[in-house]
Amino acid sequence: MVVSESGLFSRQVLWVVIGIVFFLVGTWISFRRLEEISPVIYLLTCLLLMATIFLGGGPADRWIIIGPLHIQPSEIAKAGLILMSSWWLSSLRVRPRKFGELLVFLTILPAIILTLLQPDLGTSIAMIMIVLAIFIWAGYGPGWIYLIISPFLAAVSSIHIIFWILFICILGLILYRRRYPFSSWLIFIGGNSIVAALTPMAWNLLETYQRSRLITFLDPSSDPHGAGWNIIQSEVAVGSGGLFGQGFLQGAQKELAYLPARHTDFVFSVWAEETGFLGGIILLATFFVLIWRITLAARKSVNAFNSLVTAGIAAYCTIHVFVNVGMTLGIMPVTGLPLPLISYGGSQMIVVLFLLGLAVNAGMYWREV
Amino acid sequence: MYGNSKNWPFFFSLSVVSILFILLGVKLIYLQVIKGEYYRGLSSQNHIRVIVTPAPRGVISDRNGIILADSKSAFIVSAVPSEFNRTNTALVEQQLGMTEGELNEILDEASAVPHRPVVLREGLSVEKVSSIAENLYRIPGVMIDVAPLRRYHRPEDFCHILGYVGLADTQDSFRGEITGRTGLELRLNETLRGIPGLQREVVDALGRIVEEFRGTSSEDPVPGGNVSLTVDAELQSIAITELEQTGMPGAAVIIDYENGDILCVASVPTFDPNMFAQGITQDEWNAILDNKDNPLFERAWAATYPPASTFKVITACWLLSEGLISRDYMPNPCYGSLTLGDTEFGCWTSHGRLNVVQALERSCDVFFYRTVQLGSIDEIAEYSACFGMGSRLTNVLTGEKTGLIPDSDYLNRAYGSDGWGLGNLLNISIGQGELLTTPLQLAVIAGIIASRGEMPPPGILLQREILNPVLSSDVVTDSAFDIVTEAMLRVVTSRRGTLYNAFSDSSLDFWGKTGTAECPGEDHALVIGFIRDPMPLAICVVIEHGGHGGSVAGPVVENILSSYLAERGEI
Repeated sequence: MVVSESGLFSRQVLWVVIGIVFFLVGTWISFRRLEEISPVIYLLTCLLLMATIFLGGGPADRWIIIGPLHIQPSEIAKAGLILMSSWWLSSLRVRPRKFGELLVFLTILPAIILTLLQPDLGTSIAMIMIVLAIFIWAGYGPGWIYLIISPFLAAVSSIHIIFWILFICILGLILYRRRYPFSSWLIFIGGNSIVAALTPMAWNLLETYQRSRLITFLDPSSDPHGAGWNIIQSEVAVGSGGLFGQGFLQGAQKELAYLPARHTDFVFSVWAEETGFLGGIILLATFFVLIWRITLAARKSVNAFNSLVTAGIAAYCTIHVFVNVGMTLGIMPVTGLPLPLISYGGSQMIVVLFLLGLAVNAGMYWREV
Repeated sequence: MYGNSKNWPFFFSLSVVSILFILLGVKLIYLQVIKGEYYRGLSSQNHIRVIVTPAPRGVISDRNGIILADSKSAFIVSAVPSEFNRTNTALVEQQLGMTEGELNEILDEASAVPHRPVVLREGLSVEKVSSIAENLYRIPGVMIDVAPLRRYHRPEDFCHILGYVGLADTQDSFRGEITGRTGLELRLNETLRGIPGLQREVVDALGRIVEEFRGTSSEDPVPGGNVSLTVDAELQSIAITELEQTGMPGAAVIIDYENGDILCVASVPTFDPNMFAQGITQDEWNAILDNKDNPLFERAWAATYPPASTFKVITACWLLSEGLISRDYMPNPCYGSLTLGDTEFGCWTSHGRLNVVQALERSCDVFFYRTVQLGSIDEIAEYSACFGMGSRLTNVLTGEKTGLIPDSDYLNRAYGSDGWGLGNLLNISIGQGELLTTPLQLAVIAGIIASRGEMPPPGILLQREILNPVLSSDVVTDSAFDIVTEAMLRVVTSRRGTLYNAFSDSSLDFWGKTGTAECPGEDHALVIGFIRDPMPLAICVVIEHGGHGGSVAGPVVENILSSYLAERGEI
């Protein structure tokens, strides 16, 4: 999308106005009704994601374009995932079934794979993190989570033998403490060994820009003019803000266009450059209070679905804020996750405001009881 | 409350969120509070550098498409003052063959705009630039660019018409941009220069290109427009050669009087404009300045001469058209001079009784002294202005002079109302006195006679609007044209004609009039005239201090025309 800066502003105002409507819908909607239609919503988001694959052309094309509308289905899919996994886990609580958790994962897998195909590694990892957070909220312990994500850990630990040994030891400890039968040992240890062996091959299948992003994350100075440049310039922008910042609309880094994607991914750098440490810490504190309040609402929700959805929203906010701000500060890789409520983008703005509406809805519900 | 049996997910989640936010806060403190000053310094060193790709300057060609000026690739070495490390001064000076301290001087001068590159040397060949290219990694802030260099193919022949170019040095020009300094290069600069390409680069504190500028980062250069001249390069070359053979400064103008195309405007001595394009040395410059004949001076339109007897053509037209004399009117005889009060107005010989045709043929002054008294100075001034005298004929020739037609207003201003009299009128009648014309104007006068007033204003650009004739229709009567044309033919064909000797062996049918302009030192020799066949050409040749018009300028006219027509295979 090529839009002038003033055009961006008026569009963003429009998104906020539409988003507020969705926020009100979120506060007003019946959770019971929402629970009923959650699988349908999820199915629709998967279809949208599929449409991106078939309609969108070329790599990193993550939009569906309908006339003037540019929809980013992966943003909507995150909301769909929260609803879907909450729906599954709350229904499992009522009617437990064998391999139920595996079913949940199998259900959410299409959305994650379709996002990965876009290709959007960052968003698909964020999706997995949100689902894991919902699992934790549902009471699945760290050991269980470790087993669930063990293939991923196996892949990561395959980069060095020390990591691998550490990974296997923890895996064995958990299996031992849970007194799993021998067949489980065989599946977990054997399966993860295969994953670890296949990882180097999978690495070659990654898109070049994804690989360079990962490498650059590990060592930004290795490529100061390439992908690492974004991180360095962002750090320079944030750092030059100092204690009190360079003043609203005075950011030199922003003005000179050193900052990449300064209205979307790196919007926090602009904020930190212009308002300094004071503004940066106020913004982070505001997000923290928001997430804390959502978590409280989740804790006091009257039923499983409400609570899990609200917790998922808290996880959504936490992951987005941490990954986005962490990226601008150079402690997370460049992933393209937006900063909720602040980054430019219609899909994201509307989805976030809708989710916050739901959280407020859940919060109001327990107050009334 | 959901999960009432387990409180741990809540506290676990809250601690994870807290730890993540603390991580962000700590990094924020590190970047902004602890290292804030450092990053502020870095940020101020980022800047945008604008790289300019000069547009190829338009090609200038003659009427037949012969290229007179184009561009060839050459190299420019330049430096960005803010990025150049002065410890490398000696190395760069040695590589570029600069004198000691020259580089620092250039950089000091340019330090007002430290991020804009300044040219150190331009127009370098591949060989010269290769040694600095090998050392480029050692000298940050120095760069090499390809830039078109102006090249003149017939440098001497066209030096005055085209002029020359130099490095643009205005604040809004760019490194290596060349601009017209004189001539058509100057006058048509906007057409020829094109639009330079721009490339914006983001450069970090070390002067390294860190990325292309976002947004409108680059604009491709738009080549300059090409220009075709009406001049025939072969004729120009012949004219220059013939003028140079006289050994004296001079000018020649040849115009196609049917369409006004200037086919030749030669001025000698000449110079080599390539010297300016390639960077002129002090010695070369001094040599040009020391030449007393001033090669830089354009003589065909920027110099004015008294028209002398060539002006008698206009005086005759005036007398005849106004009905002041008839073809056969004979005033009192010429005894070699006319005395007015206590001033004697001379003639070059004693002509006896003459009519107007004979007076023109033999260039008798006394005939005109006597007849001109039938009119007034303002009448003849107004009349001669109709022929283009006293005004510029083109709007593209740089430094074109208007010449001067003295009228009573002018003489009152110059001498006071009592300081002048009939004598001034007598002098003007034979083209002397204060009267001044350019050779271009004289050629146009010849063209007007040849075309019987139909000639359009002269022009040097092939693509131009052909305007209405110089002369308005009722100024010269048909019989006046007939009589003056007859007289101009007799100047050449009659044994007593002043051009008889010059054209005695010629196969050309030439109509002409000579002039010998009195001036300090030897007189200027002038000839104007025209041929009808095989081409409609009007010509004027002026030889400074050449002596007598008929014997010095006459053969030059004949040689130029016959060589040119022979070359074309027309005679």
